[in-house]
Amino acid sequence: MRAKSLKDLLKARDRVAVSNITGREAAKVSIVSQRFCGNIVAGWALGKAGQALNVPGVGSIPVFGQFDELMTSLPEKKRPNKIVVYSPPDAVYGDVKEVLEHGQKKVETIFVITEHVSIEVTAKLKALTEQAGVDIVGCNTLGVINPHESARVGAIGADAPDETFRKGSVCILSNSGNMVNTIAAYLQAAGLGISCGISTGKDVLILTPSRDLLPLAMKDPRTRIIALYIEPGGAYEQEAIEYLATVRKPKPILVYVSGRFAEGRAVLLGHAGAVVEGPNTSASRKIQLFDDYFGMPVFDPEQRRRFVSLLAEKKRGVRVNTLHDLVPAAQALIDALDIKPDFQATRPIALRPWFVELGALGRKLPRELALYPTTIPEPYGSLVNQHVKSGIGRLPTRQPMRNASHASSNDGITPRIYGYSVMNLMKKGAFGEAVLLYWLGHPAKQGFEARLFEMGLIASLTNGPGTISAQGPKLSASAGNSPNTAMIATLAAIGTVHGGNGQEAARMLVDLFGQTKMTDPYSRTDVPDLDALVNAFVNKFKEKKAVAKEAGLDYGKVPCLGHPVFNKETINYDPRERVIAAYMEQHKLYNVFHDFYHRLARAMMDSGVTNKVHAVNVDAALTCILMGMAWPLLKDKKITVERAVDLPFLAFALGRVAGGAGEYLDHRESGADMDMRVPVEECRYLGRILD
Amino acid sequence: MSARIGELTFLRELAGRFKIPAPDYVVEPVTQSDVKARLRKWGAGIVKPDVLAGKRGKAGAVRKASEYHEAIQLLKKAAAEQVNGQQPRTAYLAQAVPADMELFTAITYDSRYLSPSFTISLKGGVDIESVPDSDKATIPVDVFKGLNAYQASQALSRLGLQGKLNSSLALCFVNQWDMFISTGMQTCEINPWRVNKDGRIFACDFKATFDENNFKFKDIGFTLPEYPTTEEAFDEEMRAWAASSHQGQAHVSSLGGKKILPILFGGGAGTIVIETLAQMDGDPMFLSDFGGNPPYERMKKTAEICFRHKLKEAALLLILGGKANNTQIDVTFAAIADALEEWAAKNGPISIPVVIGRGGPGLVQGFAAMKKALENLGMPYVFFGPDTPITLAAAYAARLANCGARKARGELP
Repeated sequence: MRAKSLKDLLKARDRVAVSNITGREAAKVSIVSQRFCGNIVAGWALGKAGQALNVPGVGSIPVFGQFDELMTSLPEKKRPNKIVVYSPPDAVYGDVKEVLEHGQKKVETIFVITEHVSIEVTAKLKALTEQAGVDIVGCNTLGVINPHESARVGAIGADAPDETFRKGSVCILSNSGNMVNTIAAYLQAAGLGISCGISTGKDVLILTPSRDLLPLAMKDPRTRIIALYIEPGGAYEQEAIEYLATVRKPKPILVYVSGRFAEGRAVLLGHAGAVVEGPNTSASRKIQLFDDYFGMPVFDPEQRRRFVSLLAEKKRGVRVNTLHDLVPAAQALIDALDIKPDFQATRPIALRPWFVELGALGRKLPRELALYPTTIPEPYGSLVNQHVKSGIGRLPTRQPMRNASHASSNDGITPRIYGYSVMNLMKKGAFGEAVLLYWLGHPAKQGFEARLFEMGLIASLTNGPGTISAQGPKLSASAGNSPNTAMIATLAAIGTVHGGNGQEAARMLVDLFGQTKMTDPYSRTDVPDLDALVNAFVNKFKEKKAVAKEAGLDYGKVPCLGHPVFNKETINYDPRERVIAAYMEQHKLYNVFHDFYHRLARAMMDSGVTNKVHAVNVDAALTCILMGMAWPLLKDKKITVERAVDLPFLAFALGRVAGGAGEYLDHRESGADMDMRVPVEECRYLGRILD
Repeated sequence: MSARIGELTFLRELAGRFKIPAPDYVVEPVTQSDVKARLRKWGAGIVKPDVLAGKRGKAGAVRKASEYHEAIQLLKKAAAEQVNGQQPRTAYLAQAVPADMELFTAITYDSRYLSPSFTISLKGGVDIESVPDSDKATIPVDVFKGLNAYQASQALSRLGLQGKLNSSLALCFVNQWDMFISTGMQTCEINPWRVNKDGRIFACDFKATFDENNFKFKDIGFTLPEYPTTEEAFDEEMRAWAASSHQGQAHVSSLGGKKILPILFGGGAGTIVIETLAQMDGDPMFLSDFGGNPPYERMKKTAEICFRHKLKEAALLLILGGKANNTQIDVTFAAIADALEEWAAKNGPISIPVVIGRGGPGLVQGFAAMKKALENLGMPYVFFGPDTPITLAAAYAARLANCGARKARGELP
């Protein structure tokens, strides 16, 4: 090996270049690495020259088309000495050859993360790198981490490497990348941190196996204990043990050998490397090799004292049967060899259930199996309180959706909306119903819902030519624009204070009613104590208003309460809302949100917050209609709160954009060109003339 | 699983192409007159089943025949009878080669040299593991330069074989190498090579595995024969599903267990969880690895296949993985939850306990989706976060499943 120490494999000032850096996984991992240690100097990917990988808050990583270009473009001091290969399997051979050709005397180590590289290519990589005097780790490694110098390559430590990898004295060498993380996390419970974590890779040929790494770990000044995770396959451990037998004072080793359950079965383990070459490479044989080397049986946590004295006598370490036994085994080793822990042990490993609901089964279980929820650690605890326990709305799930949609499909024969044929929807003939299906993901459950929704849409069409959303299309028409531009102008002239207030109203209703157990907003019997809700809200609002007034600040208004036109009376109504209310009354329909809004308007005056009963405006009515439809879906966690909250604004926008189209058509037909222009003499300048 | 072939495919497709001397043969179904004519020419023949089971000879499936009635009978029998639990594809009659000498050769990728290696023994025809090291020679082969005749010859010399036969065999071995490297093989064993008293050489048995990641394997020039499978329908369907996309893994291997249906994430995690379940009498139904950040529809179909084949029989559903590096837990868990709800809608209610343990991106969202689904279905559950070691969670699941089984047997109140 070129590396003479573990540090030679990875240290703080290493400069890393990443192949295929714009690939999905490579980009994601590189961003985390760059935030963690900032050691990536550049990446390269065919056809991506000139691009950059943006790392928010840190800067960007330049991307070159070829490695050659990368080497010639970077200043001498920034040229990489470590290479991480994320290329597709068929490109790995070519990319490594390119690195060896253009990275001579500069590149020290190549880490091949790629899976499914053929064995022939793997053997060729070994031959080529050996000839070039370059170390190669992998293929199929997850990477390497050096916690003492906050350096990593690959995805070791996932999104938060410093959470799992505290500085310490255990060197982990593992066939499985994920087990490097797992072992590091377990050992914290024994007060042990990590000196170095290496995922060797798990293919049939492991190009830098434990037999090469153990000598480095043995002489590493930071390493006091070595932890090995071993899978079946290969003669690596046999050779490692032959080496260990030659070391005068070997450092103690903790070993876990997996894969014994698969022996005698035609089972392919998760890793290709678990293809067993012969009897000497089986899990059982490796277990025997290590037990013989340690001179003691497998660790038994029930016989701690016995193992402490055995470990003190033999000093070579011990094998464990299950991975979580690593913790008591490490503790026994610490006691036996008088090793000082790296830090105070974190809380002991134990079953820590987050959610338990065993129902009738729980009552019949023995005590040790009938678990109860424990405190959920941060940052998860707050998230759980926020999302899981609130009992309302589904949490958004994320995935790449460039070519995917839940909302629509087209198999070449039938376009569909949430699985319903567009043609069948057309035959039904109700536009509002189809829109609600598209927006809610589920068909409207009640016949009146689409009718009320359409009333809201009609109300949203216009409030006269003076509204700013009507001015938008008129301006656009006056400038000679086409219809789509005029419609965009309509949409561009609505916002949170014009039309978007419904969004805030919906958010308020979710916050208030989300704390209640109400499931059916149309039921008069399932109504929470509305007066209590209203009073609590008004009192809180009053308090907030007083504090804000005292400080001379602007206090927020109750969304969708009041209207600039319909505000002349002591008790005010928005006539459009009245139409909706009359329809509901006529059809004996109840909507708890609508009821709440009217009670709120009155309570605001009764408590002196307002000097009149403000109109429950049409935006409020539309919000109440849409929240009525959304509520059962929110309670059933079928839609997110975000979706429900967006609905009123979308409904207003849909109605108003149709209205804007009407203004455009009228103005285009009858208005004079440029007639929306304000004459210069009417324009006022509010600043100072400076030259 | 690597693709494998046996002697018959070698005789049909590879021996001639790579100039490896091999016995003449006929394949069942074969006419009586053909068998008669061949036996007259050969003197005797060996009846063998075409089956991918090791140690056919030891299992008594390989029989010598010199009389054609017997040969026909044996061929029918060999084609029909299972060998070590495997059903043969067909049977064939190969020319019997009386031998003065038997050799063994194997080419494989060797973890000691991290390159291909070539092993020769002059004690062929027996189980090579029983041959002492002193009677075998293994030499590393430069993957770029390949095996040269002089290297093979030197190895033979070291084992004490000199003269003309040394040279003829060395050339045969070079051809074996050419076949190995040209077709993307991972291992290739000829045992035995038989040398008759005239010094003629025959490759008399053969087995090989291909590296499916090797581009050469994708174009080997013939179609791999399809062997009757003893694979469970579940494994077969999942294998086809796994091969249909590179997005996310869908690896399973049935273990014949009856208690725990394990949906596991990550190769390493899957292995240690199954190891723990097996140690704790958790009797897992299969080994699985569904990691690799599968998109929603991929994970949903994977879960749907698992549930369709196994859920009815399961005593406990275990969904377990370590702290994921890249896999989105919200996406994968929403998919599993939807598949579970769809299964229940089709098959009726199910009340087995569900044990879940996971960590990674989108964890809380994933847990929320799964929790809601389990509540809708009325299934008892325990969720563990990344602060509970997966092997502890697996051990708990095994104990819980056993408790359920004991309850079912009336051993618990």
